[in-house]
Amino acid sequence: MTQPLHLSGYWLLLLLLMPLAVYSGFRMLLGVIRKGEGGKERDWSVPQLEFETGAMSTVHRWDVRFKLASFLVLAFVVVSLQHGQTALAALLLAFCGYRAACIPWRRGFKRLLGMSGFLSMFLLMLPLTAVRHPDDLLLIFGQLEWLSFNLRGLDLAVLIILRATTVAMLMEPLLATAPFPVTLAGLSRMGVPQRITELLLITHRYLYVFVHEARRMQIGMEVRGLLKTSNIATLRTVGNFVGMLFVRSFERTERVHSAMMARGYQGHWPQPVSFRATNTDYYKTALCLALGILLLGYDLMLVGG
Amino acid sequence: MHISDGVLPTTIALGCYAASAVICTWSVKRTRSEDLPKVAVLTAAFFVASLVHLPFGPTSVHLLIPGLVGALLGPSAFLAIALGLLLQCLLFQFGGLTALGANLLMMGLPALLAGLVFYRFKGTGRKQRIWVGALCGGGATIFSALLLAMLLATGGEDFYGVAKLALGAHIPVVLIEAGVSAMIVSFLLKVKPEILDIPFMMKEKP
Repeated sequence: MTQPLHLSGYWLLLLLLMPLAVYSGFRMLLGVIRKGEGGKERDWSVPQLEFETGAMSTVHRWDVRFKLASFLVLAFVVVSLQHGQTALAALLLAFCGYRAACIPWRRGFKRLLGMSGFLSMFLLMLPLTAVRHPDDLLLIFGQLEWLSFNLRGLDLAVLIILRATTVAMLMEPLLATAPFPVTLAGLSRMGVPQRITELLLITHRYLYVFVHEARRMQIGMEVRGLLKTSNIATLRTVGNFVGMLFVRSFERTERVHSAMMARGYQGHWPQPVSFRATNTDYYKTALCLALGILLLGYDLMLVGG
Repeated sequence: MHISDGVLPTTIALGCYAASAVICTWSVKRTRSEDLPKVAVLTAAFFVASLVHLPFGPTSVHLLIPGLVGALLGPSAFLAIALGLLLQCLLFQFGGLTALGANLLMMGLPALLAGLVFYRFKGTGRKQRIWVGALCGGGATIFSALLLAMLLATGGEDFYGVAKLALGAHIPVVLIEAGVSAMIVSFLLKVKPEILDIPFMMKEKP
C-alpha cells in the first residue's frame, strides 16, 4: 500500500484554485478574442460556418463523405483511449490536423470555452471523490484526514479533458472546411435521412432570426428598466418574454410553411451537390484510419502491459 | 448540463446513439410530413429560449425547457430536441459529438414524458393548467438530472461524486424551471390558448 503524502493545508487551497484558474484563463482568452472583434459593425446575417482560405487546404479538398466518416471514426477512437500518453498523442495529431486545415485558432478556443464549465467540474471533483484504492497516491492536507487529494482521480480528470479537447479540435476541420449545406448533403449520402438534414438547415437558418428577435425584445425590456434579480417579478417577465417568443415563432411557422408551399415545396429539396471521390480521398481516409488504429493498438498494448 | 466527449464509456455512448436513433425515427413517423418544416422553425425558437439566463443568487442558470417543448410539441418533441442538440454540438460544442445520443436521451425522454403528463392532466381550468405546466417544467428537469447522474455513474465508482454534484446543481434549476414554466403557460393561456390545447403536431388537417 502506498503511504499517503502529508502536506500543509495551504496546498489544498492551491489545488482547489486550479480548476478555477483554468476556467478563468479560458474566460480571459474569450475576452481577448471579443476585444479583437469589437469595433466592427454588427453583422446580422447568418454567420458562415465555413472558413475559406485563399489557397484551399488539403482538408478543404477532401470529399465531404470521406471526411465525415474518417472524423467520426477518429472521434470514437479518441474517446476510447484509456491512457494519458495516447490521448496526448491524439491531441497533438488533432492540432496538426487543425493547422493543416488553415483555420484560425480562435474558433477552436471558442469551442473549448463551450465545454470548460463542465470539464472544470471533473477537474475539481474527481481528485477529491475518486474511490481510494490501496496503491493510489493520496495527498492529505494538515489535519483534514477525511479529505484527500487522489492523484489517480487527477489523472482521470486530465484524461477526460484531453479526450474532450481532441474531439473539439477535430470539429473545426470537419465543419469549417466545407459549406454547411454541402456537409449536410454528405451526411445524407451516408445514410442519415435526407429529411433530417433538410430540417437541420431550416433550424440553422431560423436560429439567427430568433436570436435577432430575442435580442430586440431584450433591448426593449432593458430600455423599460428591467433589472434581472432573483425574484418573482423577474420570473414573470422572463416567462412573458419566452412566451412571446413562442407565440411569434408559432405564427412564423405558418408563414414560412405557406411561403415554402408557394415556391413549390413537395417534401424534398433539390440536391444540387454531387460528389465524386478521387484516389486522394481514399489515401487521406486510409491515413486517418491507420492513425486511429495505431493509437488504439498502442493504447490496448499499454493496458495489456 | 451537456455531457462532453470523453466522459462516458464508449459502449454506453454507442448504446445511447442506437436508442435515441430508434426513438427519433418513431418521433419523425408520428409527425405529419408536411409539418416537419414547422417543427424545424420551432426548434430554432426553443434553442434561443434555452440561451436565456436567469440570475440565481450570485450565479445564473440558463433555461432548459424540456417540459414545455414536450407540452407544446407532443411526440415531435424528441425530433425537435434532436435537431437542437445536434446544432448546439456542431456550432458551440455544448455537448460532445460522441455523447450526442446520451444528451438526447437525457433531454428527450423527459420531454416526451412531460408532454404525456400535460396532455393527460391539463384539464380545462386556467389554474390547473398553470399548475400542471409547473409540474411538467420542474418534473422534466428532475428526470433529466437523474438521467444525467445515472449516465455519469456508468463511468464507474470514481464518478459517483461528480454524479452527486451534478444532481445537486440541478436543484435551483428545478425551482426556476417550474416557476418559468408556470409563467409561460399563464402567458400563453392569455395570449394564444389554442397552442396549449392539443400538441401542435397532432392536430387534424383543416
